[in-house]
Amino acid sequence: MREFLKSTRFKVLLAFIAFLVGIMIYSVTKGGYSLSGASFINTVTKPIRTFSNSISTKIEDIVDRYENSDFYYKQNQDLQKKIGELNKQLADYEDLKTEVEELRKLAVIKEKHPDSVFSQPAEILGYVANDPFKSFTIDIGHEDGITPYCPVATPEGIVGIVIEVSQYTSTVRTILSPDLSIASVCSATNADFGIIEGSVVTAENNMTKLTHLNINHEIKKDDLIITSGSSGLFPKDYPIGTVKSIGVESNGLTAYAEIEPCTDISRLRSVFVITDFSGKKETEYEAENTP
Amino acid sequence: MRLKTPREKRILYIKTTVRWILYIIIILLSFTLMTTGSWLKPVFLVPVAICIAISNDTMISAYTGAFCGFMIDIACGRLFGYNAVLLTVFCALVSLLYELYLRKKFLNYLWITALVSFLQCWLDYKFYYQMWDYPDVEHIFYNISLKVWIYTLISSVVIYIIFAVIHKFLMPKEHLTIEDVIKAN
Repeated sequence: MREFLKSTRFKVLLAFIAFLVGIMIYSVTKGGYSLSGASFINTVTKPIRTFSNSISTKIEDIVDRYENSDFYYKQNQDLQKKIGELNKQLADYEDLKTEVEELRKLAVIKEKHPDSVFSQPAEILGYVANDPFKSFTIDIGHEDGITPYCPVATPEGIVGIVIEVSQYTSTVRTILSPDLSIASVCSATNADFGIIEGSVVTAENNMTKLTHLNINHEIKKDDLIITSGSSGLFPKDYPIGTVKSIGVESNGLTAYAEIEPCTDISRLRSVFVITDFSGKKETEYEAENTP
Repeated sequence: MRLKTPREKRILYIKTTVRWILYIIIILLSFTLMTTGSWLKPVFLVPVAICIAISNDTMISAYTGAFCGFMIDIACGRLFGYNAVLLTVFCALVSLLYELYLRKKFLNYLWITALVSFLQCWLDYKFYYQMWDYPDVEHIFYNISLKVWIYTLISSVVIYIIFAVIHKFLMPKEHLTIEDVIKAN
C-alpha cells in the first residue's frame, strides 16, 4: 500500500481526480449549459443513441408483448366489447335521429295542413320490379288504417296514391303513371288549371306532365304546381313539382308542361299516407266499408 | 328407376330433400334480388323454373312453375296468378319436351329459356301497357321489355351452371337392370 501511495500511478490518479473535480466545478459555474466537450460528444453520439434507443424500445415492446400477452388479450376483448356496445348505441342514435327528423317534418306539414290526418312515417319496402312508372310498396297497411286511394306524400310534396292494401303493406302508384290524374293549378298564377298525368316518355326521365292547360296560360319555367283539391281525391295546396318545359299539344288546342316532381321518386326512403283531409270524396271502398 | 337396397332408398330420400331445399333457397333468393332497388332487373324466376322443369316430372314442374309465377306476380306488381298461369303452362310444356324429344344439353336450355322469357316479357308488355293504348307505348317495349329479356337471358347462364352443379351431385341416377333395358327396347 505504501508503495502504491508513493508510486507515479497514484499521483496520476490523483491528478486525474483533481482534473475531474475541476471540470465539475467549472460546469457548475456554466449555469446549466453543457461544456463544449460534452456538447460535442452529445452531437456526435446523437444518431447512434437514437438508433440504439429505437432498437431497445422495439425489443422492450416485443418482450412486453410476450410477457403481458394475457393482459393485452383480455384488454382487447374488453375494448372490442365496448366498441360493439358503442356501435349499437350509435346505430340506435342514428335510427332515433332519423325518426325525430321525420317526425319534425311531419309536424311542419301538420302545421301547414291542420285539416289533414297523417299516418305514421312509412318505410319503402321496395319498388315494383321493372315498372316504368316506379310503383312501390310501403310497410304499413290495413292494420295501420290505410285504405285504397289515400294520397301518399313526402314533406316535399305529393308522390302518388295507394292502389292496393294488404294487412301490413300497401302498393303505391306514383305521379309518373299515366293511370293517375291529379287536378292541379299553378301556384304563381293561381289561375292556370290542368291535370297532372304521367306519360311513358316523361316517366323515363322521372318527370310527369301537366296536361289540358289553356292555350293562353301564363305558366313560366320553374313555377310550382300544386294540387287544386277539386277532385276530392287529393287535399288542396300540396306541392307536386316545378315546371321544366312548356309546349303545345299536337291538337293545337291545349298546352302542356313537363313537371319535375318535388321529390325524386326513384330514390324514396319514407313517405306519409294522408288518411283523411277536408273535402275528401268518399271512395267506393269506404262507402262499402262504412257501417 | 329400380332401388335395390334400403341404403339406396335412404340416400335417394336425403338427396331429394337437400335438392328441394336448395331449389327453395334459390327461388327465395331470386325473389329477393328481383325486389331490390329501382333499376331494371332480370326476371330470375323464369330460368329458375325452367331449370327445375328440365329435370323433373311434368306435374312437379307445373307446380313449381305456378309457385315461381306467384313470386313474379308479387315482385312485379302484377295481377296475382297471371304469371303463375303462364309459367305453369310453360314449365309443363318444357318438362314434356325434355321427356319426349330433347336431350339435356345447354343449347336446348338456352333456346327454350330465350323463347319462354321472351313470351313472358312480350305478353307482359301486351297486357299491361300496349292494350291500354298509352301514347309512345313502344318505348316501354324497346327500353324495358327487351332489356329485361336480354338481362334474363344473360342471368340464365349463371342459373344453369348453379343447377347443373346441384343436379350433378343431388339428382338420383337411374339404375336399370338388364331386364329393364330389354323391356325398354
